[in-house]
This record gives sequence, C-alpha cells and structure tokens, in this order.
Amino acid sequence: MALKKLLLRVAFILFLGLIIGLGINFSLIKKYFLGDFRFGFISLEKYTSITFITLGEAEGLFSEEEALFIDSRPKEAFQAGHIMGAVNIPFEEYKKENALDLIFLPPEGTVVVYCDGSECNSSLELAKVLHRKGLLDIRIFFGGWVEWTREGLPVSSEK
Amino acid sequence: MDEGRAACIFGKMIRNKYILLVFRLVVGGMFIWAGVSKIIDPLEFAQNIANYRVFPQGISFFLALVLPWIEVICGVSLILGIFRYASALLLSGLLAVFLVLITVTIIRGIDIDCGCFGDLSGKVDYKLILMDSVLLFFSLNIFFSRKAVRVKY
Repeated sequence: MALKKLLLRVAFILFLGLIIGLGINFSLIKKYFLGDFRFGFISLEKYTSITFITLGEAEGLFSEEEALFIDSRPKEAFQAGHIMGAVNIPFEEYKKENALDLIFLPPEGTVVVYCDGSECNSSLELAKVLHRKGLLDIRIFFGGWVEWTREGLPVSSEK
Repeated sequence: MDEGRAACIFGKMIRNKYILLVFRLVVGGMFIWAGVSKIIDPLEFAQNIANYRVFPQGISFFLALVLPWIEVICGVSLILGIFRYASALLLSGLLAVFLVLITVTIIRGIDIDCGCFGDLSGKVDYKLILMDSVLLFFSLNIFFSRKAVRVKY
C-alpha cells in the first residue's frame, strides 16, 4: 500500500534523525543528566568566565561589596525595584538598539548578572555578551529578582 | 476526502517537473543550511527553543539534538530525490508546526530570535511567517506531485 510505504519512510527518517542526533551528542546528554544545564543551555567550557551562583553566594558577594550587580531586566522593571546598588543594562532594549557594543566594563572584578528568575534568560544572554567583551569573572544569579525579594534582602527603587 | 475533491486540489498544484525540481532544491537547500547551522551548536539551539517558553527544559534539549538532523536528512533526500515524498511530507508538517509556534509567539508578544539558522537567525516576526509559508507551499507541491505522477503513469 502506497500510504503505508510513505509512513514507513517517514518513520525511517525520524528514526535515523533520532539515532544520529542522540548518538553524536552523547556527551551532551551525559552532561544534561549530571545537571549541567539545569540553569540554562550554555557550555561552561566555551564560556569559561561564567559561573552560576545561588542566593547564598549572591548575598555573600553583596554584603562584602565585592561585586557589581547588573540588572538585565527592562528599564521599567528596574526602576520599579532592584537589588540595592545594582546598575541596569536592559538586555532586550540594548540589543534592539544595537547598543550592546557600547557597554564598557573593566575586565577585572566580579560582576553578578540577574534578571527576574528562572523564567527569564536575559541574564544568560547578557553574560555571554560580557564574556565576549573580555570580562573575567561573571556570575549569573539565576534565582534573580524573585528569589532576592522573597528573602526580603535589600532593594531600592527609583520611584 | 473523496476522489473528485482530491483531484481538484491536485489539479491546482504545480506539476511542471522543472519547477518542482527548483522547489526541491530550494526547500532541500534551506533545510540543510538550517540544520547544519544548528548542529554546530546544539546548546545554542536548545536555549533558542527554551526561549519560546512552550516546551519544558528536557523537551527543548531533546528537540535541539534531534530536530536539526531530521532537517538535514530531509533536505538531502529532497535534493537527491530519495524518499522525496516522505521528506516533503515531514517538512510540510514541521513547517506547519513552526508557523503555529511563530504566530503564537508574536501574539504572546515574546521578543526572541527565531533560532532557525543558528547564529544568523533573525527575529520572530511577520517576515518569518512569509518565508515559512512560501517554503510550506513549495513543500506541499512536492508532496502532492506524487499523486500527479502516479495518475500520469
């Protein structure tokens, strides 16, 4: 039957794609199950200056005043409230205006990038840009604004 | 679908074998390019899928590993003419799903890169809908030429 033959061929292509795709990326699958990508799909071997930090670590850096906190959320969200002392680099707006090239930060020193929380990815994208700009120590605080405020940690606003 | 209606639809499809060859080359070439650009960096593509905020983390990862290979296999088979109808059917299905995803993303107002061509991806916007629609049209024509050929011979 022509239809059966057609569907068998479709299944064959899908199967072939599955075998090759999973086979070639076996090392990535292993990393996935080891939890390497639980915060986001990023190769930490490629982006050597990026690390993910927890709320506790972020709080430590904050209280020791050792890091510059960068808020990658939109301007309005930042103005409504942000981690005390943080500066705003609204990733999406800057990207749209091609302004990411204009960012200048010294390569030394620690920066902590954050956005809303696990649902947002602008902190990850901004961290990649900062890595390409040669910053040596970029921490992504993945819990972000949601976790920070949930714990009642110091915030400020511009309103 | 009864035979009369089917014949009517197929009648409207393009049957010229040279035009169909061009369609196969265009669709096949686009998908090989799209697939290879994603195979190079599966994690980037996984993040792109995750950005659509439709699939959970695990599914985004799985799709990022497998989907580009399916695209390349279909693209190659379209160009070589092996399993071309099965490939055209699969790609038509994929394009239809992409169209729905793009539309939903625009309606939800999520501003992201489409992730269609690796690093060279543009934004999810109306131009992308147009491009996918054209490819879907080409792909459906290739698939339905199967019936036309059988009737002819």
